Amino acid sequence: MARAAAASRRKAVSAVGGRLDPARLPRFLNLFAIRFPVGALVSIGHRISGVCLLLFVPWAPDLLSRSLRGQAEYDALAAALRSPWAEPLVFVFLWAFCFHLLAGIRHLLMDAGLGARLRTARASARIVLALALLAALALLIAWRAA
Amino acid sequence: MRQFTGQRAWLMQRLSALALLAAAAALAGFLLAAGPPDYHTWAAFARHPLGGTLILAVAAALCLHGWVGARDVALDYIHRPWLRLAVLALAASALGLVFLRVLLALARVF
Repeated sequence: MARAAAASRRKAVSAVGGRLDPARLPRFLNLFAIRFPVGALVSIGHRISGVCLLLFVPWAPDLLSRSLRGQAEYDALAAALRSPWAEPLVFVFLWAFCFHLLAGIRHLLMDAGLGARLRTARASARIVLALALLAALALLIAWRAA
Repeated sequence: MRQFTGQRAWLMQRLSALALLAAAAALAGFLLAAGPPDYHTWAAFARHPLGGTLILAVAAALCLHGWVGARDVALDYIHRPWLRLAVLALAASALGLVFLRVLLALARVF
């Protein structure tokens, strides 16, 4: 895909004597064939994890009211959330939570002018990607043990 | 409704983010120090005026933060006006309902 794009870009360049002809530039919107810079991955990941978390929010009042309805209900809820069936959902929640939190801290620091230079921004983006996954796995292990 | 759009929304997104960050840090601190709470510890916290207020404040920050985020995503990616309006209305009413139900759940045990 990338090679095809480069070939068609060359064609667009040579067609007008070395200048770019916008009409003949490739429209290249296949998101799976574009290589995202690491900062863009964190940016879109921040949104995706945010939407994931948003989908969990409508369950929160129910969890809250059931957890306060008495000892038996509380224990049943704790057991249900630790069942193997719930585990994939718990992991998605933990990953989305960790990613959104870390990417959000990075964003707030940049708002304050910290780490906005390209080199540090790329380094912190890599840290967010890796640390979110590691933290989610660690929390999942802690969740199972608790 | 002006509070929920434009620069105020941007500011509210940051302020609610800081509130949620503080809540997450407090929760992490509690869990690291005391482990997962049993029913009586949890119920006593929720019944206490301060605990209930904290839960309600977190719910408010969560709903506001969720609203600004949902709005940003809907405005950026949904281009058909009727669908955009439907999604925005759904997000607003769902988040408003979440806050009301948290309020009711706390009122029931208070």
